[in-house]
Amino acid sequence: MNSTLPSLAAHETRADHASAIVHIHALSKTYRVHERPAGLGASLVSLVRRTFKEVRAVSDVTFDIQPGEIVGFLGPNGAGKTTTLKMLAGLLHPTSGDATVMGFSPWRRETDYLRSISLVMGNRNQLNWDIPAMDSFLVNQVIYQIPKREFRETLDELVELLDLGDLLTKPVRGLSLGERMKCELAAALLHRPKVLFLDEPTLGVDVTMQGRIRRFVGDYNRRTGATVLLTSHYMADVTALCKRVVVIHRGRLLYDGDLEALADRIMPFKVIRLDVQEQAAAERLALYGEAVEVTGLKASLRVPRADTPAIVGRILAEVPVLDLTVEDPPIEDVIDLLFNATDSDGSAQS
Amino acid sequence: MRYWLEVYRINLRVAWAMLMQYRFAVLIWAVWGFVGPLVSLAVWSAAAQARGSDVAAGAQTFSRGDFAAYFLVYMIFSHLTMSWDAFEFAYRVRTGSLSPQLLRPIHPIHADASYNIGFKVITSIVLLPVWVVLFLVLHPAMPAPGIHLALSVPALVLAAVTRYVWQYALATIAFWTTRVDAINQFYFVLDSFLAGRIAPIALMPGAIAVIARFTPFWYMGAFPVELALGRLSIDRALSGMALQAVWLIIGVIVFRLIWASGVKQYSAVGA
Repeated sequence: MNSTLPSLAAHETRADHASAIVHIHALSKTYRVHERPAGLGASLVSLVRRTFKEVRAVSDVTFDIQPGEIVGFLGPNGAGKTTTLKMLAGLLHPTSGDATVMGFSPWRRETDYLRSISLVMGNRNQLNWDIPAMDSFLVNQVIYQIPKREFRETLDELVELLDLGDLLTKPVRGLSLGERMKCELAAALLHRPKVLFLDEPTLGVDVTMQGRIRRFVGDYNRRTGATVLLTSHYMADVTALCKRVVVIHRGRLLYDGDLEALADRIMPFKVIRLDVQEQAAAERLALYGEAVEVTGLKASLRVPRADTPAIVGRILAEVPVLDLTVEDPPIEDVIDLLFNATDSDGSAQS
Repeated sequence: MRYWLEVYRINLRVAWAMLMQYRFAVLIWAVWGFVGPLVSLAVWSAAAQARGSDVAAGAQTFSRGDFAAYFLVYMIFSHLTMSWDAFEFAYRVRTGSLSPQLLRPIHPIHADASYNIGFKVITSIVLLPVWVVLFLVLHPAMPAPGIHLALSVPALVLAAVTRYVWQYALATIAFWTTRVDAINQFYFVLDSFLAGRIAPIALMPGAIAVIARFTPFWYMGAFPVELALGRLSIDRALSGMALQAVWLIIGVIVFRLIWASGVKQYSAVGA
C-alpha cells in the first residue's frame, strides 16, 4: 500500500502569506516531563534524583490560513492538534517558532486579541456550572464590552439557530452534554469572534446534535466571514465543513491541502458496490478489480479512479447486475492509511 | 472606570448566585472564622484571670476586657480581610480549569476579587447578629468611637487589598509547582504568628515582636485592629498606613513579575 502514498514530507505550499489571517511559522512546543519507573525504590530515588524527558508535542509546524476559511486540523490522539490550538489561543507559549493571528502574537494575550477570538473545547466546560448560562452570557457582555443592542440581536440569533429555548435559565450542571455544548458555542460566539478555534466541538454528542452543530458552524462562517480552525475525530464534521485540511502526526505537518486531493493521492481508487442476480456472477467480479468483499449476491470492488467509468461500463454490459453504486473510499480509511503509512515509513517521526 | 465598576458589579452578581447555590457550605466557612479568635480569647482570658491582674508587656497592658475587645475586633477584621485564592488557584492550574479564565480579555484576578468581596458581603450579613451577641456577652473594653476608629476603616481596606494581592502572588507559584499546599500552609503559619492572630504582637517575645512589625503580616492583620482599639498614636497610625501602601505596591510588583513569568510555564493540562 505504501506505493500509493504521496511524498508525505511534502505539502502544498500556499501562496499569499501577506493576506493570511493566521500565519504559523516553524512553530514548536516541547514539554519537560518528569518520569520514573514504577515501584517504591524508583520513587525513593526520584526524591533525590529526578529525571526529566523532553516531549516534543509540536515540531516545526508551518501553515497559513486565509480570512474566511474553514480548515480541518486532523491528527490522531497526541498528534499536537490541541497544543497548537492552545498556542494560537494564547494559552501556551511556544518553545520556538512564531505565529500571528490577525497580526497579533497570541501568547502576548493582548486584550484586543482576546476580544477577537474564541476557543471552544468539546471536552472542557468553560461556562460556570453553578449558574444558568444566561448569567455567564451577561458576564461576557460586560467583559467583551458588547453594546446592549448588538448583544440582544446576537443572542436572539443564537437562541434561534441553536434552539436554546429554555436552556438559558437552567444551571449549566443540570444540562445534558449536547445542551451544554450548544450553550458553550453560544457563549463563545456572543462577541462575534473573527477567528474561531474549535477543538472537538461535537465530542460525545449524539448524531442529531452533531449535525446541528456542524450546520451552525458552517452558517456562522458564511454569515460573518469568520475564520475557523477545526479539530474533530468525526470525519463527517470535516467533510461537511472543510474543503482544506491540515494533517499533523507526532507533532509534524504531514499534509496541507484540499481534502479531496488528499483522498486522490492516498487512495487513488473508487469502490464499486454491486448486487448481482446469481452467485456465479458474483464470483466473476474479481476479473474487473480488487474484490474487497463478496458476500452472497453482494460484492465490493476496488478499482483505479481513472478507469472507473470504463470498468463500470464493462460490468453493466457483461454481468447481470441488480444494483450498482460507485463511492469514494471513506475518508476515515484515507486518514487511517496516511497515519499508518507514516508510522511504518518513519518519515514523520521526530 | 465605568468599565471596571460594571465588571465588578456583574461579577458580584455571579458571586451572589454561586454563594446562594452553596448556602450551607458558606455558612460553615463563615462560622469557622469564629474558632481561631475565640480559642485565642479563651486562652488569654484564662491567663489574665489566673494572674489576677492585667497582662503587661512594655507600655501596653491587657485586661480580660482588652483581650475580648482585641479578639472580637480581630475576628471581624480577619473575616473582612481573608483570602483563600492560594488554594483555589493551585487547583485550577492543576486541573487546567484556569484556561477559560485566561481566554477572557480580562485578568482572572478581577473575577476572583469580585467573588471574594461577594463572599464577605453575604457572610457579614449573616454573621452580624452573631457578632452583636458576642459583644454583648463578652463585655469587650472598647474605646469610645473617635478618630482611631475612623482611621481604622481605610487601614482595614488597605489591609484587605494588600493581603489579597500577596495571597494571589503566592498562588501564582502554582505555575511552577502544582502542589503548593505546603507553601501555603507555611504562609498561613507565619500569618497566624506575625499578624497577631494568636496573640497581640505586644505580648510576644521581644525579638519576634520587633520582627513582626517589619513584615507585611502585621500590616495586614493586627495593625488596623490595634488602630481601632486606640492602641496606636495618630502618628503611628499614619506612618503605618503609609507602610501598608508600600507593602501593597511591593505586593503588586511581585505579583506582576511572578505572573508574567509564571503564565509562560502554564501547561493548560487537559484544557
